[in-house]
Amino acid sequence: MRRGPGIAGLQHAARTKEQYKLTGAEVKKNTLQAMHEQLSSFRTHLEEFARKHRADIRRDPAFRAAFHSMCANIGVDPLASNKSLWASALGFGDYYYELGVQVVEACLASRPLNGGLMELGALLRAVNRRRGAAGEPASEDDVVRAIKKLAVLGGGWDLLVLGGRCFVRSVPGELDTDRTRVLEMAAGGQAGGQQGGGGGRGFTSVGEVVAVTGWPASRAEGVLQALMREGIAWVDDGAPDGVRLYWFPCLGPGVAQQSTT
Amino acid sequence: MSTAFAFPYFYNYPPYFTLQPVKETRDKQVALWCSLILSYCQHTKTFILDTQADSQLFVNNSINRKLNSEARIAILDELVAQGRAEWLDKGKTQCLILWKRVDEWAAVLMDFVRTYGLSGSVMTLDELTGGDDVRGTELFGAHREVVVRALRLLETQGKLSTFKGATPEEVGVKFT
Repeated sequence: MRRGPGIAGLQHAARTKEQYKLTGAEVKKNTLQAMHEQLSSFRTHLEEFARKHRADIRRDPAFRAAFHSMCANIGVDPLASNKSLWASALGFGDYYYELGVQVVEACLASRPLNGGLMELGALLRAVNRRRGAAGEPASEDDVVRAIKKLAVLGGGWDLLVLGGRCFVRSVPGELDTDRTRVLEMAAGGQAGGQQGGGGGRGFTSVGEVVAVTGWPASRAEGVLQALMREGIAWVDDGAPDGVRLYWFPCLGPGVAQQSTT
Repeated sequence: MSTAFAFPYFYNYPPYFTLQPVKETRDKQVALWCSLILSYCQHTKTFILDTQADSQLFVNNSINRKLNSEARIAILDELVAQGRAEWLDKGKTQCLILWKRVDEWAAVLMDFVRTYGLSGSVMTLDELTGGDDVRGTELFGAHREVVVRALRLLETQGKLSTFKGATPEEVGVKFT
């Protein structure tokens, strides 16, 4: 192709550019088309896979997690809509809906005891107790997914990590940094909380908080009192030295087995 | 010989021995204690709790904690409000625990009368709670306070009549 001189040449160049543009668009269109077709084919195959292996997906948490991964890789969310083809192919809508209800029930039942803060492992056990021996057991991965769906509904659902363990919060209102710091301490996430068993003791006192954080006593007291008002901390005035202790039931009653002297 | 009582997890969790200042927490705490008291008393056939005495219920030496007087009274007040206990004195030191309600004790009595065909018979209060006839039944070892209340109820229903004896132990009962 030669660029000719003068106006004719310019017009020719312009036409060529235009042609290239059209061709480019054509190619792009074809490529996108091809991609759409490929994805559509993927989806169909995935749906078939889901239908064929529905029982396994529902029964086996590890298989289920791998399936979710596979879906995520091609941008498919099997939980996206209750009415979607997915929901009917897998019955997933029902599965996670049911699980969501059980999660809410378990959290509500234990709220007076832990102030709406519950360890993921404890929540999983409570949920599986509700599902009973006949039900399909849920995994932590399942519960986390169900909670993420619940979070969309509002109401304060959140997942947080304290002392290396995962906790579910089921009441609205954020835990500010001061409160989180104190909880981390009691959970054994910071120096001063490490005693026996590698984890925190599950309780603390104004004195200990002051010693670890360097805060004035009034600030430490304020945070502990706030946690108590939320129902996350319980007070204990029975220590032999008479110092008031603040316990955190969400960190587990098992911690109480340790010596409290 | 009865088996040892299995205490629930919260009995070994120190803060449960301090009456919680926050209402929602305290309500749950008291409810759990009330349940425990009823189960414990039923298991050990305890009828009267003395709020001033350090029983195994109120004191847990393994975690070095005990419920103080205020807490004990608050919990028992709740049981009384639920109709599962009665204070025997104004000073709230003696509490009658109705781990079986009065009407349930009445049913036990009537069952006993039916089973042993005692219509028309006469028994003393003592015999009803400790005699050979009641050995092996739920009545054996029952506290007179609960049995007296059950008898009162049954009397109003015309199922028996009571009459005083020479001594309180000799209060007599005639089953209709």
